[in-house]
Amino acid sequence: MSSDVEYLPIPIIRIPGNSFFHRLHPIPKLIWVTGVIVLCFATRNPLVLGVIFLIGLLFFFVSRTWSGYRRFMGILFPISLSLMVFQSLAPAFPQPWIPVADLGPFTIYNEGVYSGLSMLARAWASSNLAILTVMTTHPSDLFAALQAAGMPYELNFMLMASLQLIPIVQREFTVVLSAQRSRGMKAHGFGAVLPSMVPVFAGTIERVQQLSMSLESRGFGSKGEKTSLRKIKAVPLDWFVGILGVVFTVVGVLLVIRYKAALDWSEVVFLPGWLSIALVIGCAVTFVTFTIVVIRRASRA
Amino acid sequence: MPEEVIVCEGLWHIYPGDVVALRDASLTIAAGEAVGIIGQNGSGKTTLVKHFNGLLKPTKGRMLVDGVDASTVGVHELSRKIGYVFQNPNHQLFAKSVTEELAFAPTNLGLEPEVVEERVERAFEFFDLGPLRDTHPYRLSFPLRKLVAMAAIYTLEPKVFVLDEPTTGQDHVGVGLVQKLVEKLRTEGATVVIVSHDMILQAESTDRLVVLWQAQIIGDAMPREIFSADELMQKTNLQPPQVTQLSRRIHRSGLPEAALRVSELAQPLASML
Repeated sequence: MSSDVEYLPIPIIRIPGNSFFHRLHPIPKLIWVTGVIVLCFATRNPLVLGVIFLIGLLFFFVSRTWSGYRRFMGILFPISLSLMVFQSLAPAFPQPWIPVADLGPFTIYNEGVYSGLSMLARAWASSNLAILTVMTTHPSDLFAALQAAGMPYELNFMLMASLQLIPIVQREFTVVLSAQRSRGMKAHGFGAVLPSMVPVFAGTIERVQQLSMSLESRGFGSKGEKTSLRKIKAVPLDWFVGILGVVFTVVGVLLVIRYKAALDWSEVVFLPGWLSIALVIGCAVTFVTFTIVVIRRASRA
Repeated sequence: MPEEVIVCEGLWHIYPGDVVALRDASLTIAAGEAVGIIGQNGSGKTTLVKHFNGLLKPTKGRMLVDGVDASTVGVHELSRKIGYVFQNPNHQLFAKSVTEELAFAPTNLGLEPEVVEERVERAFEFFDLGPLRDTHPYRLSFPLRKLVAMAAIYTLEPKVFVLDEPTTGQDHVGVGLVQKLVEKLRTEGATVVIVSHDMILQAESTDRLVVLWQAQIIGDAMPREIFSADELMQKTNLQPPQVTQLSRRIHRSGLPEAALRVSELAQPLASML
């Protein structure tokens, strides 16, 4: 079987290493990921979210996974800019809204700009630790850790199998696209959807069926406790980091609730009209340019 | 002098992560030739042939298809000249019926409906798939799906057919069918490139073998020469067909030195016994 397979670079993959984050037990990492996500959704304050984002950035440098994060941000960054544009024009915020500038037929609202900045910061801040965890955790370690923590085996397996399915489906999609392009198909537009997606879905369903049979043939459904080849031992530092994560989450959420009024800057932050327009136009242009570049690259193929 | 349909000049391909998959590959394939590409897994076979239809663009060097630089043309344009049959037919099949599947490629080329219908009918005849016109491709067995996939490329009526592991998953009957199809394609004047580990297929169906090893072309000669080159076979960890190995072992006057077919050895051997 030919092994040379053309593949799309997968934006989120594990990057081997020996940093503090690589060595940290998966459970404290998950605790921190959950805590950060909860905190990010408990506040709209751009400063709080910005600080969380910057700390996350620092962690990428420390763990030497910056190159992987850059690839991920290459996709998230332009897409998230669309949040800025849509929020500025139609804020997800209680009325009344204060108009700050007119952009042709559209009106930019101050609450919209604030909401857009918050959502942007929230998207970036909440995803950082999650991405870092994926990049610094071996899937088998995560599986073993969750099992040791008492997660039902089948549920655990479903989670791991889903995570592993993503790169497989991505690779499959690339191969299918190559096969259909070899039959004269132009790789864009609605005409490309059916010939591309049907083989991928059919292949995925077939693969799942075969995997099920293979798993059953290897005792997957057997009762009783299952042992594991890979053992993860938590050291005192892991416990400390995990407890710190819980404390951080609880204290953080209590603080944002306690100081909710003070942290609500929507009536304090008032961007000048020209800056609002520049921000919205800048985000719109970047988003549209990114979209055009992606479509052009796909159609040139 | 036969027309050169494929010309590789100093082709390099380096994947992201500095993986050198093809190193300074130079190769010319003339119209009407049947060329086999052999080599171990990871030697660069598929990387090489994917340059033929533009799925891969060279990192260095030049790839000419019918005199045109392939890096300046899109894959869908090159598919008019190079028909690439993927190893796994499931990567191609998506339509509700075999007829629709066969019509997909010529429709993409913008051909008139009458022309598309004509090509589809010719493909049904060539591959003897008439009884399966309205069958859903996913209801077919794997060997039949492979035939449908080949037929779906046949309707492109390309100058060159690239077959990637055409006999994988095929039983003896299926393998024989693939060999017959290759012969039929050649009688129609098509150029055929076969990437395969099936040495029997390569021995019996090709005029020329190109050997890849560690991303380089290290051999390009007739099958008999290639299979007789012991050093080359050892270096690349490839095994000639059994009949070739046997004939080389028992070679003496009256027996072929490096038989490529059983019939080549069986007849003279039988007459000696």
